[in-house]
Amino acid sequence: MGTVLNIAPVSRIEGHAKIAIHLDDNGNVEDAFLHIQSLRGFEKFIEGRPAEEVPRIVNRICGICPWMHHLASNKAVDGAFGVKPTATGHKLRELCQVMAHINDKILHFFFLASPDFVLGPDADYSVRNVIGIAKANPELATKVVKMRQLGQMMLERFAGKAIHPIAGVVGGFAKPMLEEERLELKRDAETLLDFSLYSLDFAINNVFSKYMDVISELGNITTGFLGTVDREDGSLRIYDGKQRLMKPDGSYVDFEGDDYADYLGEHVEPWAYSKMPYAKSWNEGFDLDLAAPRGIYRSNTLARINVCDKISTPRANAALEQFRSQFGRPAQQTLLYHYARLIEMVYACERTLELLEWDGITDTDIRAKVEPKAGRGVGIVEAPRGTLIHDYVTDANGCIESANLIVGTTHNIAPMNMSVKQAATSLIKDGNYNEGLLNQVEMAVRAYDP
Amino acid sequence: MSPEKIRLNTEWLCDCGGCHVSLVDLHEKILNVLESVQIQKCPVLTDEKGYPEAEIGILTGSIRTEHDRHAAIEMRKKCKTIIAFGTCAVYGGLHGAGLAHSREEIMDHVYLNSPTTRTNFIPATEVDGLEKLVTPIDEVIEVDLYLPGCPPHAHFIFEGLSALIEGTAPRVRQESVCGGCNRTMKKSDVTEIKNSADAVADDDICFLSQGFLCLGSVTLDRCLSPCPNHGIMCTGCAGPTMQILTEPNRDIRTEVSERMARLTEIPSEVIRKSMEQSAKTHYAYAMATKMIGDKPTFLIRKWIAEVEAS
Repeated sequence: MGTVLNIAPVSRIEGHAKIAIHLDDNGNVEDAFLHIQSLRGFEKFIEGRPAEEVPRIVNRICGICPWMHHLASNKAVDGAFGVKPTATGHKLRELCQVMAHINDKILHFFFLASPDFVLGPDADYSVRNVIGIAKANPELATKVVKMRQLGQMMLERFAGKAIHPIAGVVGGFAKPMLEEERLELKRDAETLLDFSLYSLDFAINNVFSKYMDVISELGNITTGFLGTVDREDGSLRIYDGKQRLMKPDGSYVDFEGDDYADYLGEHVEPWAYSKMPYAKSWNEGFDLDLAAPRGIYRSNTLARINVCDKISTPRANAALEQFRSQFGRPAQQTLLYHYARLIEMVYACERTLELLEWDGITDTDIRAKVEPKAGRGVGIVEAPRGTLIHDYVTDANGCIESANLIVGTTHNIAPMNMSVKQAATSLIKDGNYNEGLLNQVEMAVRAYDP
Repeated sequence: MSPEKIRLNTEWLCDCGGCHVSLVDLHEKILNVLESVQIQKCPVLTDEKGYPEAEIGILTGSIRTEHDRHAAIEMRKKCKTIIAFGTCAVYGGLHGAGLAHSREEIMDHVYLNSPTTRTNFIPATEVDGLEKLVTPIDEVIEVDLYLPGCPPHAHFIFEGLSALIEGTAPRVRQESVCGGCNRTMKKSDVTEIKNSADAVADDDICFLSQGFLCLGSVTLDRCLSPCPNHGIMCTGCAGPTMQILTEPNRDIRTEVSERMARLTEIPSEVIRKSMEQSAKTHYAYAMATKMIGDKPTFLIRKWIAEVEAS
């Protein structure tokens, strides 16, 4: 028996995970696993609770993307109660969701991922972090901190709480937007749009061009993709649309969220708490084999950028066209998740401005009348980390009878395991490895922003 | 790196990560903090995998697995001052509601009874053992300072950290969420409890006066009262006030039902009964702490059984 290299915890990610790399007697990689170390049981303990309270409970599933759970949950309860939110309520929810995407992308790219590129994957681990960036490039660090503050404060001022939000309610939204709030938000969103364009340029010039050899190798696997697109024109959507499941060859099927269980299944491995969704409708089973994977698709930014036909806002669409001319569709390189993330940040800023310019955004008709009752509802939004599915059944009192959740990161558990194995196998040879190489294995995980 | 800097470790146990985001949300103030603090271990920001010696240790989350237990003990060994940070660390938090269900019920639900999962086993090998119950950290290690909140608002984090760095007492008060709420309490003739789906509440009047269950009066303010000021009732996410915690025969539902009965025409027994029926919601954040769980007035399993039997 050989040895096991543990990377525990995987750091600069947004959850609890460790990597175990199994080496054979010659010090070559036999197998590698990403273990997710968390299980809380939300599906169970929301049972019996009044459904309209659940959107303020399930946001605690993830403190990094609480808005996503909050809104997917509201959509699911709308569905179960058979209520359609008012037009303004619908748009105010979407506005908060796209604003939350902006902050999330700043956090992930600059605070978590960029030290690997700005300081280098082999930089000393004690300075390879955002504090190291603050020392090496104080101007950039100050700018990033200010922009994230701006984004979080926009949400906090308008919606009360940025982390573990409360403002979405069944049937719509809890408070209307005042004209002076709209003007303030618009001014700030314009600043963020400038920053998103700056970030994309910064990354194209300083990261993607410089690290092209790493991008064309590290953690690369071939899979399908899942995302959300506009029901009419197939353009990128993150708050609402139809689901699109693409095969590795680029062919795809579209389906409505209510039917997700016909297309997706969840596989369980004995070595992980986290389940592994796979494309059930492909009828090829589940296999993590690097050379011949079965049923494996990916979610999150790269997936969304691959499945959409176009982006409805001009600057993000121009960036998408440039991306496609260089990497094709679907692009498979794992580190391109970062590139796709920055394109989405431009979209999120442009979409924020579009929504703020929509005529009805300051209307006071924010909430439809709701009657708790028995039913089933599926609420889907695109969380930063992937397609987020909340599926509730309610009883005659409007309380949760059962719930099934598939959260964004879960879709990527299987592909992350493959990327870890691919990265470890190509980096570790004959027992030779060092901290910098092991960090590169982590970089393959970090790209997925788990 | 100047030697006189105060060394800080942070670690997350079983939690959602939101407390660590709230630390990042000190925003520009974090640049001030960094002038006197050296962040060594912080899973979301740095690559330090071990537990170096430090003056301050921030622990978020509660203890759910053997891994969490080990991490809490290591942090205690290496840090002079331990802060239980966030409601999960202090009281067990929302997933303390797992207390209302056995570990087996949760595992069966996730792996055996899910509509998208078809399997006949529960994962076991290589996974850190899931403990039977959710445990607040002070039942496992000594805690020096408590900062509840879900997450604590940056205002309180900055106040707390600045006081520690400067060696002064933090200027934080023990007010309830009502203290920062702009609504006015007044006597009404409301005769029925309403829920948030039934009606939209008036923005200027206390929720209790209008017949909506709001936990603001029994919840410690570590949030600056955003919920009642944005149209939403307080759900008690920062945990109970000191009065609730320390008075053996007062708890969340007795306090709220008496106050609400005085403000409306609804009898306090009706309110109390209603709160028992949805106890998992009203006791969601703090039921895992012995300060609530051991109260003679707190009978959550009985209440759940009564609802299930009805």
